[in-house]
Amino acid sequence: MRRTLADRLAIATGILIVLMSAMFALARVAA
Amino acid sequence: MRRSHPSRATAWVVGYLVFVLAPLFALLIGTVGPARDFWTEFSAAIGYAGLAMMGLQFGLTARFRRVTEPWGEDVIYHLHRQLSLVAVALVIAHPVILFIVRPNLIGLLTFVDAPWRARFAVLSVVSLLVLVMTSLWRARLRMRYETWHHLHVVLAVAAVVTGLAHMVSWGFYLADPWKRALWISLTVFWIGLLAYVRIVRPLFMLRRPYTVTQVRAERGDTTTLVMEPDGHDGFHFEPGQFGWLTVWGGPFRITGHPFSFSGSAEAGEGSVEMSIRRLGDFTATVKTIPVGKRVYVDGPYGAFTIGNPADMHILIAGGVGITPMMSIIRTLADRHDNRPVILLYGATDWESITFREELDKIAGRLALTTVYVLTDPPADWTGERGFITADILRRHVPPPYDEHEYFICGPPPMMDSMETTLSTLGVPMSKYHSERYNFA
Repeated sequence: MRRTLADRLAIATGILIVLMSAMFALARVAA
Repeated sequence: MRRSHPSRATAWVVGYLVFVLAPLFALLIGTVGPARDFWTEFSAAIGYAGLAMMGLQFGLTARFRRVTEPWGEDVIYHLHRQLSLVAVALVIAHPVILFIVRPNLIGLLTFVDAPWRARFAVLSVVSLLVLVMTSLWRARLRMRYETWHHLHVVLAVAAVVTGLAHMVSWGFYLADPWKRALWISLTVFWIGLLAYVRIVRPLFMLRRPYTVTQVRAERGDTTTLVMEPDGHDGFHFEPGQFGWLTVWGGPFRITGHPFSFSGSAEAGEGSVEMSIRRLGDFTATVKTIPVGKRVYVDGPYGAFTIGNPADMHILIAGGVGITPMMSIIRTLADRHDNRPVILLYGATDWESITFREELDKIAGRLALTTVYVLTDPPADWTGERGFITADILRRHVPPPYDEHEYFICGPPPMMDSMETTLSTLGVPMSKYHSERYNFA
């Protein structure tokens, strides 16, 4: 179960990092 | 996650994201080149984030107790593996997006004619791909664990260093000297974490050796090593924790082996015991270790330790998964702790039940009930047979199930099945603790 939690944590981390990378790109394009 | 560390677990996640994202967003400060299209900028961002994640992988396996404690060591290693897949996806998506939006860049893949900034990128991605493939398919590739471990370290360093070289030589975001310094320092820090585990900790261990004082044959092809600190006080461990044992070749040898302590935490004078079943190359050599042999024990690690004294403790062990349970049982006996304990112990047959005689003897000093579950019982066996199942658990553990604390250690199928059973019985995750021997 804790491994399932770790799986979810890894996926959530990946999604967050992709979203923040998109924000980075938006900030650059909008500047 | 253990109940006592929820705030540390949250801090852990926030800290991880800060370490990945702060160096990325720092690139927006100071001199920045002209903005390009969204997808080129997005591709650059995931490239930087991917490298930061790869670098932090060194931190996950650096054996920092404060990092691993809220989760348990095996979960951290599992996370190391899963996050590496995310990092690889980001690093591969970086050139793929660029090739789609700027097809002229595909020409840079001709390694021989390409500039070094492109060659570094190819070297980094190839190292990373080989690293992931050899990790996922080590058994299928029939690679020895030690060979794989050496290759893993070399490829990880190569992937990170060539990734950094690619960024610095491309230079678009690292034109400012301070940004270059920031990313180079970060890389030095990540590789420094590896140096800490492989050089600094072994140097520390070299000054704190142990001597094998007893080699005891146990039932079930298991050998117990009793080790005493040599010229130091040793360390204090909690029952259920484990250490990394290095027997042959000194502490600088790359591959240590994790084993639970099987002795009492109250043994005194820093003495530690590990009971090791013959399951592979290294474990087959354990019974040949001579008394007097100098060994190295790095520990203690792990969050698999006894809980609230008011709770009934249910210990569920399969095979050599009995070792951390033995440490718990022996420690409770030495502490005259009379909390109720039920041990569900799965083994192949009656003769291979490790510690059988001692369990019978120690039961008189504790509120301990032992239930053996045999897959190959003798003809006159009237006890439980087969594998430990939900039905067996219900037969021997009194309700309410969610008020007890559960400790599970054994082969992966048993652990998966028990975790599912406990979840079905309404036991919250904070009430059960698992210890897996296989970190990969």
